[in-house]
Amino acid sequence: MRGNGMTITRRAFLERLSAVGGTTLLLMGLEAFGMGIASAQTAPPPLQGGGAGKKVIILGAGVAGLTSAYELGKAGYDVTIIEARAFAGGRSQTARKGFQLTELGGETQTCNFDEGQYINHGPWRIPFHHQSTLHYVREFGVEVELFNNDNDNSYMYFTKGSGPLANKPIRKAEIAADMRGHSAEIFSKLVQGGALDKQFDASDREQFLEYLTAEGYLKGGAHAYAGSEGRGWIVKPGAGLVGGEESKPYALTDLLHSQAWKVLSSVSDWDQQRTMFQPKGGMYMLPMGFVNKGGIGSKIRYATVVEKIRQNGKGVQISVVDGSGQRSVVTGDYCICTIPLSVLKSIDTGFSAPFKAAMNGCAYAPVGKIGLQMKRRFWEEDHWIYGGHVYTDQSEIGSISLPSTEWLGKKGVLLGYYQFMADAAKVSALSPADRAKFAVEFGQKVFPAYAESFESAFSVAWHRVQYNLGGWGMWSEEARARDYPVLLKPEGRVYLAGEHLSHIGGWQAGGIESAWMQIDALHKRASTTA
Amino acid sequence: MNHRIVYLIGLVSLGPFAAPALAAPDGKALFAANCAACHQPEGQGITGAFPALANNKFVVGDPKAVAATLLNGRGGMPAFRDSLKDDELAATLSFVRANWGNKALAIPAQTFATVRTGKVKTDRPMPVH
Repeated sequence: MRGNGMTITRRAFLERLSAVGGTTLLLMGLEAFGMGIASAQTAPPPLQGGGAGKKVIILGAGVAGLTSAYELGKAGYDVTIIEARAFAGGRSQTARKGFQLTELGGETQTCNFDEGQYINHGPWRIPFHHQSTLHYVREFGVEVELFNNDNDNSYMYFTKGSGPLANKPIRKAEIAADMRGHSAEIFSKLVQGGALDKQFDASDREQFLEYLTAEGYLKGGAHAYAGSEGRGWIVKPGAGLVGGEESKPYALTDLLHSQAWKVLSSVSDWDQQRTMFQPKGGMYMLPMGFVNKGGIGSKIRYATVVEKIRQNGKGVQISVVDGSGQRSVVTGDYCICTIPLSVLKSIDTGFSAPFKAAMNGCAYAPVGKIGLQMKRRFWEEDHWIYGGHVYTDQSEIGSISLPSTEWLGKKGVLLGYYQFMADAAKVSALSPADRAKFAVEFGQKVFPAYAESFESAFSVAWHRVQYNLGGWGMWSEEARARDYPVLLKPEGRVYLAGEHLSHIGGWQAGGIESAWMQIDALHKRASTTA
Repeated sequence: MNHRIVYLIGLVSLGPFAAPALAAPDGKALFAANCAACHQPEGQGITGAFPALANNKFVVGDPKAVAATLLNGRGGMPAFRDSLKDDELAATLSFVRANWGNKALAIPAQTFATVRTGKVKTDRPMPVH
């Protein structure tokens, strides 16, 4: 918002809000400007007046469908979920011993991890501000543990740069300390040389120098960067006469040439910041909360595939085929459809041409992940790395992520790659065995014990998974403006919901909050019409 | 942080699957490595999921339209503008246009170079979850 004679500036507006309404109103104002502190909603909508036995058919038992069923059911609606798979959760899956996956055009994989070992091959972390997801964690008493999303002691492995620091594992803390230390020293020298004398008075100048000195661990009158203990030790302090010997900084040019500085930013992106959580025992425990504690299990018709959607002024008719090949028609007053658009566009929906055209505006991301069971937690035992990610610019790998569970235990399953788009298309052309080989070959460059510790793998290429056909929906700016609003409105008696209909795409919070929005709209309509 | 990394590395990615620099790009091998996971080894596709490229009118049609699809992606298909070079894209597409019932002229690398300079889809960092 630009400030001129006629319009009030954003800051002035917020200040005025704060003055009249205190902090609460100020925060609401921040939300209105898209500067909110959380994913937009933190609690389900109150569905006042109840559903009076109206029947809602929900397509899909992922978190959006489960949320819809749970909240509408509580309000007195008669809900039925149609789920194509034999289990609930949608993409919120956890692969453990016996879990099977057959990608389209691929061979059947059966997870062969040890009892208790698992990989979340779908969603795997819950940011602190996803209060909607955390609402159901609380509601169903799902046990969670911290997910370590950032580890100073982890390695970076950059391959596209040059010089002595390229193509070798470098600790993130070393890169961070040295890049910031060298930069602070340069800045400090410029300021001392009078570079900012026009902008600063003497007091500002001194305070800024003080900040740079603290920020970069600069020493002496020359404000020089010569390392800091935080970047690590050659000899660690110990007992008796072992005082420790601090490590030496890398040269700035070596760091620049390595390109490893690309892992650094002043802060993490909003949805990557600490604190993060994960359910104990795997992400699947969250949908299981709805199914078991939430009582939704009895409402789900499993292994039942939607073939056709029809509707008229009185209700909806969903044609389905169950696991035994039996066809039937399920009828209701309304429908909430959480089927991914990538899949829905091939179903005979009877939707209008403009609505179908809008569905095509959403692209789906090819995404690949692989879990590798290691017989020994060498990253902890040999390298003292507890959770977090090894980032690399080798984009077919993306990152190696160390498990945030069973700390200091015997075995562990790490994430061997996490890649997207064209890279995911490429890696998914490999057989499961070759995907594992590819992942292990890279990991061996970072950790000497990688290959010898590898036991078994389970991989997924979400674009090849039936009933998903992609990791998550993606909207170009053009399609977000042109198509997305069309899909937020009901198509007759059918409401779409899911992460693809949120600005929190690809996260469970997007699915949950989208469901909250649509059941609220459905309820308002159902309450005012017969 | 993740967003930025993925974005940056996307721009420089060639990867282990790209053809060696001096060899003439092998369209068949490039198809197998980059496309076959979805469109299937014989271009037959999978109904309801991945379009067949065999006997495909769009594939043998306007070279610029097909080139734009490879460069920019479409629906569930990723953009290959960063991961494959023009001569690799040309070899891949020419292979597809000459097989499985498709009979159309090869497409030169120049076509991709031309289309590449045309309207570019907004480059946005890949969201990571």
